[in-house]
Order: sequence, then structure tokens, then C-alpha cells
Amino acid sequence: MDDRFLHDQRRDPDPAFARNLRERLRAGEGEAPERRFRLAPALAAAAAVAVVAGLVFLPSVRAAAQGLLDFFRVRNFAAVEFDPARLEQLRATQNDPAMFLFDHKEVLQDPGPRQTYASAAEAAAAAGLTLLTPAELPSGLALDRVEVQGEARARFTASTARLRALLDALDLRDVEVPRELDGATVAVHLQPLVAQVYRKDKLEASLMQSMSPEVDLPAGADPAQLGEIGLRILGLDAGEARRFAGSVDWRNTLVVPVPAGASSFREVTVGGGRGLLVTTRERADGRTRSGALLLWTAGDRVLALAGNLDERDLLLMAESVR
Amino acid sequence: MASELVVYSRLTAWLAPAREADWEALYAAQLPRVYNFFRFRVGDGPVAEDLTAITFEKAWRARHRYRRDLAAFSTWLLAIARNVAADHFRRHREHLPLAAAEHVAAGDTPAELAERRSDEERERELVALKYGAGLTNRAIARQTGLSETNVGTLLHRTVRTLRARWDEGGL
Repeated sequence: MDDRFLHDQRRDPDPAFARNLRERLRAGEGEAPERRFRLAPALAAAAAVAVVAGLVFLPSVRAAAQGLLDFFRVRNFAAVEFDPARLEQLRATQNDPAMFLFDHKEVLQDPGPRQTYASAAEAAAAAGLTLLTPAELPSGLALDRVEVQGEARARFTASTARLRALLDALDLRDVEVPRELDGATVAVHLQPLVAQVYRKDKLEASLMQSMSPEVDLPAGADPAQLGEIGLRILGLDAGEARRFAGSVDWRNTLVVPVPAGASSFREVTVGGGRGLLVTTRERADGRTRSGALLLWTAGDRVLALAGNLDERDLLLMAESVR
Repeated sequence: MASELVVYSRLTAWLAPAREADWEALYAAQLPRVYNFFRFRVGDGPVAEDLTAITFEKAWRARHRYRRDLAAFSTWLLAIARNVAADHFRRHREHLPLAAAEHVAAGDTPAELAERRSDEERERELVALKYGAGLTNRAIARQTGLSETNVGTLLHRTVRTLRARWDEGGL
């Protein structure tokens, strides 16, 4: 079949049209998508900042030579508010926040694509994890699907030049960058993560769980100093950053950046242990939309329950997880 | 704080799946496909650009619904484009062209006329998906619900007709 004449009809879009459309879409990127709740964009924003902040936790070359002696384990959570405008500054500086500090990423184990399973048992077998599940499903929620993200390992190599450039771009010229950071590597080991997604009409809740991630920290590293740099990148002033950094056990605490103004947070009790509840509420199109994220630990397991349930139902569901 | 890199990267992968997508790269790759899909449907000019823009704007607003484990991005985007095209033709079909009266006068019943129009519509869409959007027959089959064999047969027949008209200078 001679169809070349049809293939030849293809044309590239007018560059001006392509450029204008892209700019229009880009202008809308600050707006949240049509979601059932708007926690996700806030968290994604927080995540991007957290990535930047988190990457200052690097082993010194000297300590790396001595061997990696310590591991990060999530035991507690602490929320820190940041100005969402800082995220825009970070985005403007570089598209990929993860590479602000690293000039090399080596993937040691690829997690592969996310897999969907019809039952928790199948997912548990695939993840090699005994799943905790909620005994209480409020508002008629039922299991919709179970997803598994596989195990992953990666090693990053730091560049103090990148960090300095970032700090300069943010006009944080008073922050000192430890020289021994340059060329240091940090290894990250992610355990399989399982997400059980429950739905009922417009209500949705996802229970995510994974064994605590492992992040190699060297002996000799000063977590508080590095955490303080991360907090400055988040937008805290020097005094706030120092006070917060000094009050946190950085080896066991997951610091949760919360966009100021868009959310609120408080410490809660889940299963007898401490958890962190972040809630968002806003009016849009004449309706109030709310979302919540609850983080807690059970032994070495980190759990997160996110959804557009009201706070009471979310806590009820989390409390019933066994 | 390094753990945030770990934990958040995974949590947000579920919470904001569209953010995983490299939107810049997807836009660059998919814009010509969507644009040419519409060019094959409505011809050159501002309408094709308008419909392309509507498609991308809809896709962007609904980006949380895109799950790459369920469908390739191009499949998802073209499904939106097909809906946009269908809406466009629905809005502009309220007034039949005068030429349609010829068929009625020639003895076609309204049902026959509708069927003829439906067949032509389907053929135009298959051509647009194949040569505008650059889909394979298999991908077109997935989009349209037709069998791959059926897609191949219909396209072969349509292209042969178009080829003949092209050779006669009628296109």
C-alpha cells in the first residue's frame, strides 16, 4: 500500500504556537490539578524542598574511608513550616532538585515499574512484607487496588560547588559549606513500598507502608550542622534554623516540610506511639476541599495514610491498622 | 534529613503521579502528534491549533488521573484528543451541509445517511490516528476498540480510495 503521500502531509506545529501553548501550561503549573484533595501538590512541593534539604546529609571523605558506621532509621517525625515561594526559587534555579548537590547518581538496583495487584496477599508476597491492614474502613471505603514499588539502591556523589551555587542563588552567603563534603558519597537503600488504595465514590484513602529506609551516615558527620544548612535552604532564618536543628535527633527523625499557610499540623497518637498529622483545607469553586496525611511508625516500619477523609475517620482508620 | 529524599520520593510518587512524568519531554514529543491528528481531522489553520491547545490544557488539568502503569502517555493524551474532536464535531454538526440533501434526494433514508456519515467519520479518524498521530494499527485498535485486522482492512480500503483521488488531483 503506497501511503507515503499521507505520511508526507505531517507538519510541525508553528514554533510560536508551540511556545505560547507551553508557556500557558507552564503558567498553570502553580495551580493544583483537579484533585479530590490538594494535599498532594503541597506534599510534592515539600518533597522537592526536602530532597534539597536532605541531600546535605553527606559523609565526609575521611569518615567514608573509615567505613559507614551508622544508619538513619525513622522513629519520629517533626514538622517544619516553609514558605512555598522558596520552592519557586528552587525550581527557578534548577529543574531537578535532587541534583542540586550531587553531580553523579549511580543506580545500584532499579525498582522497576510500579505493579498493581488485586489483593493484599499478592502484593505482600511480591514485596516480601507482612502487610498491616486497617480493621476499620470508615464511610463505606473498600479496597480498590494494591500497588507495590520495588526495592531500590542508589549512590550519590556530592559536589560542594553545586551546593555553593545553590546557596548563592538563594542569597544565603553566610552559610558555610563543609569542605570535606566534596566528592563524598551517600548510599540510599529503599525497601519495597506497598500502597493499599481504598475508595468509595469521591472518597479515597491510601495506606502506604515500607520498612524504614537505610541511609548511610558516616561516623564523624555532624547531622545537626548539615541539617541546619538544609533548613536554611528551606527558607528558615539563621536563628530559627539553629534552634530547630539543635532540637531534633537527626538520626531518627523524619523532618516533614509543611508549606506555610496551606496546611496545619499537629502531633497525634497512633497505636500508642507518636505520629504527625498534616491537614489542608481550602475553598475552591464554592466548595471546601480537605486532605490529610498521617505519618507514624510501627517498629521499623514507616506508615503513611493519606486521603480526603475527615480527620476523625483518618485517625480511626489508622488506629485500627494491625 | 536524607531520609526525606527516600520517604517523600516514594510517598509523592503515589500522591502526585503526574509529577513523575517529565512534562517538558512529553510535551515536546506529543505536541506534533496531537497537532497532526487534528490537522488530519479539521485541516490546517487555527482550528487545529485551538483543538490541540484544548487537549493539552485538559490533559494538564487532569494530570493526576494519568497513571503510567495503566496507559502510555500518548494513549491517554490521544484519548483526550479524540474526545475533544468528538465535541468539536458535535457542536458543528447541528446544521448539515447542503450537499447532504443530495443523498436524501437520491433516495437515502436519514438512517442510511447517518450510517454513511458514521462510516466516513470513522475512516477519517483512523487516517488521522495512523498518519497524523503516527499510531500503529495495534495502538489504533486499542484506542478505538476495533480489532487490529479490522483497522488494517479499513485503512487499506480508505488509503486506496484516497490514493486514487490524490492521483486524480482531487485531494
